[in-house]
Amino acid sequence: MRVSYSWLKDLIDVPESPDELAREYIRTGTEVEAIETVGDAFEHVVTAQVVSKEPHPDSDHMWVTMVDVGSYNLGEDGKPAPLQIVCGAQNFEAGDHIVTALVGAELPGGIKIKKSKLRGVVSWGMNCSARELGLSGDHSGIMILPEDAPVGVPFAEYHETADTVLDCEITPNRPDCLSMMGMAVETSAIFDRDTHIELPQIQREDESVHVDDIVEVTIAAPELCSRYTARVVRGVKIGPSPDWLASRVAAAGMRPINNVVDVTNYVMMLTGQPLHAFDLGKLSEREGRRHVVVRAARAGETIQTLDGQERTLSADMCVITDDGERPVCLAGVMGSLDSEIDETTHDVLLEAACFDASHISRTSRNLSLISEASIRYERQVDRTRCPEVSRIAAALFEQCCGATVVSGAIDVYPVPVEPRTIALRPARACAIAGAEISTDFMRARLARLGCTVADGEADTLTVTVPTNRPDLEREIDLIEEIVRLWGMDRVPATIPAARNHIGGLTHDQRLVREIGQIMRACGLNETLSYAFAAPGDLDRCGMTDEGRGVPVKIMRPLVAEQSEMRRTLLPGLLTSVAYNEAHGQENVHLYEIGTLFHGRENASLPKERQSIAGVLSGAWGDITWNQKYRPLRFFDGKGVVEELLSQLRVEKVRFRPAEGAGYAFLQPGRGAEVLAGGTVLGWVGEIHPEVRERYDIALPVVAFELSLDALMRAARDQGAYAGFSTYPAVDVDLAIVVDESVTYETLVQRLTSAGGKLLRDVRLFDVYRDDARVGAGKKSMAFALTYRADDHTLTSDEVERVHGKLVEKVCRAVGGEVRS
Amino acid sequence: MSLIEDLDALEARAREMVEGADGADALEAARVALLGKKGEITALMHMMGKVAPEERPVLGKRANELRRIVETLIEHASSDLKRQAMANLMATEAVDVTLPGARPTLGHQHLINQIAQEIEDVFCAIGYTVEAGPEVETSWYNFTALNAPMDHPSRSARDTFYVVDNAPGSVVHPEPHAAGESDVLLRTQTSGGQIHIMEHQEPPIYAIVPGTVYRPDTADACHLPQFHQVEGLVVDEGITFGDLKGTLDYFAKAMFGPERKTRYRPHFFPFTEPSCELDVSCHVCGGKGCSFCKHSGWIEILGCGMVDPNVLINCGVDPERYTGFAFGIGVERVAALRYDLPDLRALMTGDMRFLAQF
Repeated sequence: MRVSYSWLKDLIDVPESPDELAREYIRTGTEVEAIETVGDAFEHVVTAQVVSKEPHPDSDHMWVTMVDVGSYNLGEDGKPAPLQIVCGAQNFEAGDHIVTALVGAELPGGIKIKKSKLRGVVSWGMNCSARELGLSGDHSGIMILPEDAPVGVPFAEYHETADTVLDCEITPNRPDCLSMMGMAVETSAIFDRDTHIELPQIQREDESVHVDDIVEVTIAAPELCSRYTARVVRGVKIGPSPDWLASRVAAAGMRPINNVVDVTNYVMMLTGQPLHAFDLGKLSEREGRRHVVVRAARAGETIQTLDGQERTLSADMCVITDDGERPVCLAGVMGSLDSEIDETTHDVLLEAACFDASHISRTSRNLSLISEASIRYERQVDRTRCPEVSRIAAALFEQCCGATVVSGAIDVYPVPVEPRTIALRPARACAIAGAEISTDFMRARLARLGCTVADGEADTLTVTVPTNRPDLEREIDLIEEIVRLWGMDRVPATIPAARNHIGGLTHDQRLVREIGQIMRACGLNETLSYAFAAPGDLDRCGMTDEGRGVPVKIMRPLVAEQSEMRRTLLPGLLTSVAYNEAHGQENVHLYEIGTLFHGRENASLPKERQSIAGVLSGAWGDITWNQKYRPLRFFDGKGVVEELLSQLRVEKVRFRPAEGAGYAFLQPGRGAEVLAGGTVLGWVGEIHPEVRERYDIALPVVAFELSLDALMRAARDQGAYAGFSTYPAVDVDLAIVVDESVTYETLVQRLTSAGGKLLRDVRLFDVYRDDARVGAGKKSMAFALTYRADDHTLTSDEVERVHGKLVEKVCRAVGGEVRS
Repeated sequence: MSLIEDLDALEARAREMVEGADGADALEAARVALLGKKGEITALMHMMGKVAPEERPVLGKRANELRRIVETLIEHASSDLKRQAMANLMATEAVDVTLPGARPTLGHQHLINQIAQEIEDVFCAIGYTVEAGPEVETSWYNFTALNAPMDHPSRSARDTFYVVDNAPGSVVHPEPHAAGESDVLLRTQTSGGQIHIMEHQEPPIYAIVPGTVYRPDTADACHLPQFHQVEGLVVDEGITFGDLKGTLDYFAKAMFGPERKTRYRPHFFPFTEPSCELDVSCHVCGGKGCSFCKHSGWIEILGCGMVDPNVLINCGVDPERYTGFAFGIGVERVAALRYDLPDLRALMTGDMRFLAQF
């Protein structure tokens, strides 16, 4: 809502400084987005006089003029000199007083004035029409000023257009503020002072004819239209609006068009009631009368709106029709092109009506058509005031368009509304605010807002609210008015006592934080990816649907690649690896904790699963003078997972070769399922080179994804202290040659069970293959074994005995032999 | 030559041997030769028994003196040698300390989660709990229960991602919907968390709900279709607008600095009344007005208000007994304000250079 300062001053006394007014507006809930000085638009625009007018040598319709702009152009002698301006208008003569835009001017329509050449003749500016100046729709020629107009003064000064406009953001609950009268009332409540609103009156009604003789109105759809009033004015002379009217309309942010249209727009801006003017002559006549029927649109019916667009309507829209058939207006939104006011218009049918807010809102949304009228209707218009607003507009048609007002008004009012009465407890207002606000203040300011305040029962006030405030329905709504006008800034700040309440993070919330800390301590950076997915994402990365539900599909996605919700974190992370590689960052270590959406065939809501995933690519760092990093491969990823599980004290951890179609995205022989007890937590492995290729990733990537939910269930709290043996340990190395098929896991299990309770540690320190020395298809695995007792120093006999048995047992079990 | 003279000569020789020892081994050899079991001075001591009794006191005293002298000499020489060895070691071990160290590789927490966690800690410190809600929500939780009118523009498919409903009508509160809409949606705000909390918890409630939210805004420098909010909810007996101010003043100063001023601007939200927006004084100009704060001196940080009685009623809470306040903080907005981020899209690329900065 653009609030013109000079207009507002006509309605109420306001502070001299617009800044001060803006501050008070902001303090009480009207956001001021900008303070504009309207005269600015006329910078470099001056009054001038035509000195001479010669035909353009190369054009049959242009003129080369010399224009006196006073001291705005100086000759070489430093004295005022006329400017040469090429002009295409035909409506002027030498000696006329005109308006000239100098080089550097920027006109309201966005035209920038530069020095230019028109068919070879230099032009130093532009002689302006009223339309180019944004003053009216008149573009029949340049604007001619009276003979007594001064020459060479700023046009803004001459025209007294200098004004300040506060561009206010009106919240959707305040339709009353979408009008100057509403803003005046709001201002009156803020400053606790009277308004002085004078409304134009109809001077004479033409008693020779009554409106009922000319028009009949029927509301066929009272659920869409709760009131329809109409008046007829005759004999309008279409032309430019008087300056005061045009400048008001322009200040309100609308383009002046002609006097009839400007009057309807002006009155809408003044009162908040949208009006529509039909060319009466364009409506069909039956039995000597026009028949306006307000009805629901028929599905598929079309109308060409004023903006020239052909609109297809649906059954929940409302149309004004010519005798029930042809739609002549999309009710509350926009009129039709074929009933528009134009230069030929003689008689006008004026509509002041009220349409249902939610239907207008949906119509506007569905057609992507927003107008000043629809903005007001969808926030609710005060239907009690239609007749009054209609009178104001008729008076202005009389005053500004030379019209005769036909006597009488049509008023079809199927759904009347009564003012609402609310009980207000002043004590409750103070209790909600947490401040002592006097009852006198409440009475006074509510009255300023247009409420009637009376004493009610037992310390309550009975407040009758005006019908233009649909937002005031309950006591709390009045309390809001009181608090904002009294001043939120004046309310003392307090901290609630929170008796009988204990807060803080839960065990699981702390655990999630700990998991993140472990990941970062392992060197991984946390990242966030979009939770959206492309339909082919699982295929692309070689995964199957199994265990991932059906996709959650977005009905109207922004882009096809984001039309589903993700079912794994891997694609997002691979996309980030590719992004980094493409930007010269080969060393990538990322993890993400996020939600997966596993949709269900027969349920509305998906299962939301928490997941943790990581990717490693490149190396931990670039080679430095003292650090040589290896390329990150399978065991680096596995090591991160092992460390995570160990830190979380997960028991019975196993890694099982990841095989089968479900793991086609992993490089065969370099992928493992991660288990805790019998539960699969997830997987770790190197991404299959074919998958990497699809993501444009050159370097190997080792990744993992674990169910965060399962991981947290497997995590254990810290157990009791376990002491250390104070007796010395005996270390024995053992290299066993076994078949390739014997896994580390098998060997360690055998060693551990054969070693008994004296064997405290088994550490693999070498794996050696050599066809000649070890044998083809075999490998030597070298372990460091640590023996130790809790209660005595082991003797060498004891160790030899235990170790000897261990070697024998293990070799027999795995078909291996000791390598000496 | 008398025995005394022999002793003098032995002392001279001992000095030579000890002082001439050029290492720990040579010194040890000298010590063994002089003071060892078969050493010269040891032998001398053993000889004392054979010396004439009248010479014994003089000679004995001299021999003892000699032993002490040699012991002292060896001790000094030994510590000299140790000092020397240490000095040599230090000389060879010295490095250019300006060379870069061997750094362990540590990861960084994502900026958004850092801020969300900081907000959690700020509120946990004053006794709040941290709650969660589903990201795929129903329109009842996301809008209706929060007092949003059925025709509220934010419900349109232009402002909300609706999801294909695999079992229409099966949600707890099914509703009629326009074409392109359904009962199921990606939550557009964490405010639905208020409803979930009140359904499962009796007042007193002091809680925040951090979470991911979604809106159909094409990603650009200032918008992301997926972003993060932290919702706050307090419901208790006697909660006032002053309590809201005190709590959010504390939050604003904790997050943005103790010197920042706050301003509460009345505003409108369907689920709170009175509603307002909270501004903090601009950190760039200190409140005087600059291009960063669009010359207002203030920067908007969150929306808040007293919980609308309708919301309490929708959750079965008696609005006459309990009042409350709620607020919603945009995490990306806090990040952008604190670190002057020129483009929010950098938050979502996983760019190592960006992540390692924070």
